[in-house]
Amino acid sequence: MQRRTSRWLIAGALAASGALALTGCGSGFSSGGGDDSGALTSSNKALTVLIGSSGDAETAAVKSAVADWSSSSGTKASVSAASDLAQQLAQGFSSGKPADVFYLSTDALAGFASNGSLLAYGDKLSNKGDFYPSLVKSFTYDNKFYCAPKDFSTLALEINTDMWKAAGLTDADVPTTWDQLESVAKKLTTADHVGLGIGGEYARVGAFMTQAGGNLMNADSTKATADSKANVTALDYVKKLENDGTLKFAKDLGAGWGGEAFGKGLAAMTIEGNWITGGLQADYPDLKYTIAPLPKGPAGAGTLQFTNCWGIAADSPNQKAALKLVEKLTSADDQLAFSKAFGPMPSIQSAASDWKKANPTLVPFLDAADYAKGVPTAKGAADVVTDFNSKIESLATSDPKTILESAQKNLEALVK
Amino acid sequence: MSTTTLRRRENPSGRIILGRSVLYAVLVVIAVIYIFPFLIDVATSFKTESDAAADPLSLVPATITTAAYEKLFLNSDFPIWFKNSAIVTIVVTLGRVFFDSLAGYALARLHFRGRNAVFAGLIAVMSVPNVVLLIPKFLVINQLGIYDSYAGMIIPLLTDAAGIFIMKNFFESIPQSVEEQARIDGAGTFRVFWSVVLPMARPALITIIILSFQGSWNELSHFIISTQSPDLTTLTKGVASLASGQLSQGTQYPLKLAAAAIMTIPVAIVFFVFQRRITNSSDGSVKE
Amino acid sequence: MTTIPRQPRLSERRRASGIRRGEAASGWLFTAPMLVLLGLFLVVPVLMALWVSFSDWSGRGSPFAGSVGFVGFDNYSALLSGGGLAEQDFGTALKNNAWYVVLVVPLQTAVALFLAVMVNRQILKGRGFFRTAFYFPSVTSSVAITVLWLFLFNSTGAVNKLLSFVGVTGPNWFNDPAGIFHFGATTGPAFLENSTALGIPLWDWLGGPSVAMSAFVLLAIFTTSGTFMLLFIAALQNLNSEVFEAAEMDGASGWQRFWRVTLPQLRPTLFTVLTLGLIGCWQVFDQIYTGTKGAPGKTTLTPAYLSYQAAFQDQQWGQGAAIAFLLFVIIVLFTLLQRWVLSEKKVSNRRLRAYRLPETEGSVVAPTGSLRKDDRS
Repeated sequence: MQRRTSRWLIAGALAASGALALTGCGSGFSSGGGDDSGALTSSNKALTVLIGSSGDAETAAVKSAVADWSSSSGTKASVSAASDLAQQLAQGFSSGKPADVFYLSTDALAGFASNGSLLAYGDKLSNKGDFYPSLVKSFTYDNKFYCAPKDFSTLALEINTDMWKAAGLTDADVPTTWDQLESVAKKLTTADHVGLGIGGEYARVGAFMTQAGGNLMNADSTKATADSKANVTALDYVKKLENDGTLKFAKDLGAGWGGEAFGKGLAAMTIEGNWITGGLQADYPDLKYTIAPLPKGPAGAGTLQFTNCWGIAADSPNQKAALKLVEKLTSADDQLAFSKAFGPMPSIQSAASDWKKANPTLVPFLDAADYAKGVPTAKGAADVVTDFNSKIESLATSDPKTILESAQKNLEALVK
Repeated sequence: MSTTTLRRRENPSGRIILGRSVLYAVLVVIAVIYIFPFLIDVATSFKTESDAAADPLSLVPATITTAAYEKLFLNSDFPIWFKNSAIVTIVVTLGRVFFDSLAGYALARLHFRGRNAVFAGLIAVMSVPNVVLLIPKFLVINQLGIYDSYAGMIIPLLTDAAGIFIMKNFFESIPQSVEEQARIDGAGTFRVFWSVVLPMARPALITIIILSFQGSWNELSHFIISTQSPDLTTLTKGVASLASGQLSQGTQYPLKLAAAAIMTIPVAIVFFVFQRRITNSSDGSVKE
Repeated sequence: MTTIPRQPRLSERRRASGIRRGEAASGWLFTAPMLVLLGLFLVVPVLMALWVSFSDWSGRGSPFAGSVGFVGFDNYSALLSGGGLAEQDFGTALKNNAWYVVLVVPLQTAVALFLAVMVNRQILKGRGFFRTAFYFPSVTSSVAITVLWLFLFNSTGAVNKLLSFVGVTGPNWFNDPAGIFHFGATTGPAFLENSTALGIPLWDWLGGPSVAMSAFVLLAIFTTSGTFMLLFIAALQNLNSEVFEAAEMDGASGWQRFWRVTLPQLRPTLFTVLTLGLIGCWQVFDQIYTGTKGAPGKTTLTPAYLSYQAAFQDQQWGQGAAIAFLLFVIIVLFTLLQRWVLSEKKVSNRRLRAYRLPETEGSVVAPTGSLRKDDRS
């Protein structure tokens, strides 16, 4: 008898403490959703800025830009570089203590916008008409323009000039078609380095897919187009080069990304975006290279476009200051300074000609914006892309059709 | 496995010497396999990056350089990580020593209604695997408002079921006569516990200290879920983020290995100081 | 609890009246911190996670808010039969972890036992040194060891260099997703490729761990064999030497002595080591988080990491919690299975007859489990 009552006592004590914990202090969680009426929050709190940096150059550049704003506006702000941006954002949102301003990628927009973590401030921007329309589209969800594109990059072909000359190639040999790329890569492949070394992921291989006229999804990310013949053609081409030994994925070369393989001299050519300039300047400053537009495929010119925006948290206590900070960070001066430091192109059209003048060697990147295609932005697409990437790693020994069919199945499940 | 009484004491014959040499040889080879990685760790941390890549096996750097350590201590948040790990480990170890011995004593010696139920609950709780708690601990820490603070890092670790188990087993094994004497002399329960029984529990307490130190210094998943700000990063979380690296930073092995080496030093010190305690079988360590 | 024969009745009465009352209060007071802490951070979280796994909570606001709906078994069914990426990822994670367990647990137990027997020999000098050397990796942090392993198992690292000394070109360990039991084959027979379990083809299930996962298997054996070696040494030292001498007199060789006499007596410790090994291996997380985060090709993805990823990165909290509970069930099942396999089986009557002395019918000589002449251990 005694034992039974004492057992109930224990159960009761635990249940009571549990109930107390759960119902009593709800202070940890925010009550979900901010003020929808359009008023921005304001307070004296310092702003926190969370970025996913590509290296020291980027972190330093953002820190200095933010510090300038801080001193001129009087609001303190601090910048921290995330080691895992996606995880830190997600954890921040669920804990109710997110960073105020942060990098937000096209992948992440749908998920965070749909659960109310983001402030849709796009229409409040004073410079909102200046952004490239395709970028604005990338960051519009549910007909709301959520966040200001902070920059964008396209993919182009980087060529190691020393290796190029050593193989007896001249300016006239810069490849403009797939066949030319194939032969040039063959000429550039030696025992020490491979002709073309790229990242083994959709974000690089997808350029070939656009050149063949396909992509994983359509422009609005409303329809899955992964299993199209064009994509199969593109992957077959990449697989052929891999099996010929003239194309290798960065991981197989022992590098973390295409830029590292290129910088270390493991590959004579690579396909990367604007960010490679900052990376190479920092780690491999002696490397001589030129940038050329990607070759045209069966369907013409094509490349991928990547962009991030400055997200503002719905739970931020100081949204007014955050908005002002974002407006400054997307101004022409700041964007040109960022571009100088770590490479990406300004997201505002008014800075285009200044940028071209300042970066004559990088013009192919900006010109590519005319025909660049974006990455899928449907909610959950990032996971499908990750799964696709994991299969692409073994492209040399797999069947492209199977890989694309499984991606198609997964993407269709998202837009159902 | 004694070889005395029945066997005649033989002069070591050739066969026995061979057998013994084989035994030693095998053990030495295995010991080398176990120790060599750590030697490589320390040696590589003093190499340059190119040297580390070119010559990964050699224990002598081509040119000894402390560049990795300089970068670690001067150009990164490593000192902050070390400080945070130290704070958490010390507080958690002290806390566990205190709370585990309190609870262990109560479960071993004090009669109160529901004691058996509490003990049964303890065993049940011990069986819940850590992975189940990853997500919900985050939710609870958040609800309590201690997310992203030292409190959130320390409080959930302040007591652990295994430690209570060890203390309980130990207290049950010491004779009751001294306590009885103290009681009869009029000492209250806490006084009996604190001044009479606890000093006798030194071996078990040292075990708890070792296990707590090791457990909290090497803890990772709890710190992932309980903090997000860079000021509260601990050594484990920081070195893990170093390992995954960032885009244009290359592989930087000497730096990462230097970090790994330094974070191993405190546990290694505790280990060597108390190793007789750990490897001794008669101190009531977990032997269930 | 021994009662000291020192005025027993007096102290009993004392305990019953004055001291005893104080004891109850102290008892509760002493265990209060433990109850609060363990209740708050162990019991409540489990209940909360259970609720989240049955709900559609999206990550903002409290999980107990009114807007969070009850979705029944939706999260679980998405993982077990949904047909989409969730099921495939869960299947992949299970496959990876199952192979990890199948390789690590027996190997680490065998290595630990082997080391324990070697180190326990009385004729050995420098036992302390060897014991320390084998146990040292166990005290280090898994983060530090994983960082070290990433360096050692690099494509141009120490391990591959060692292998090249014996003429073997080592693989690009942490970047190689090929299953080791596929032996280089890239596609399997059609019937294996087309039948799937949890969305993963059977061909992949049978492929074993990937090369990258194998590196983690070696890491696990390296870091945990020391701890279990100590447990075995403790058990070995408690063994009664008379049984061994009797066995020796009966003419049992060293190997037979080990297999038929030592091992059966180590059964309880063996059970502990296997249980701890199983529980630990099914929850492998730290090494994956630090090292490969599921790469290459999702072959180092484990359910624990998947649960973390689903919740903390993809904001699928319900699914993450469901994965954690499914893992809990798996661990319990494996532990029970292991307990059943190792339980002392009753000796069959037929066997008993072999040990009966001819004069005295019905008396049994041999105890269960040891000194059996037949091949059963």
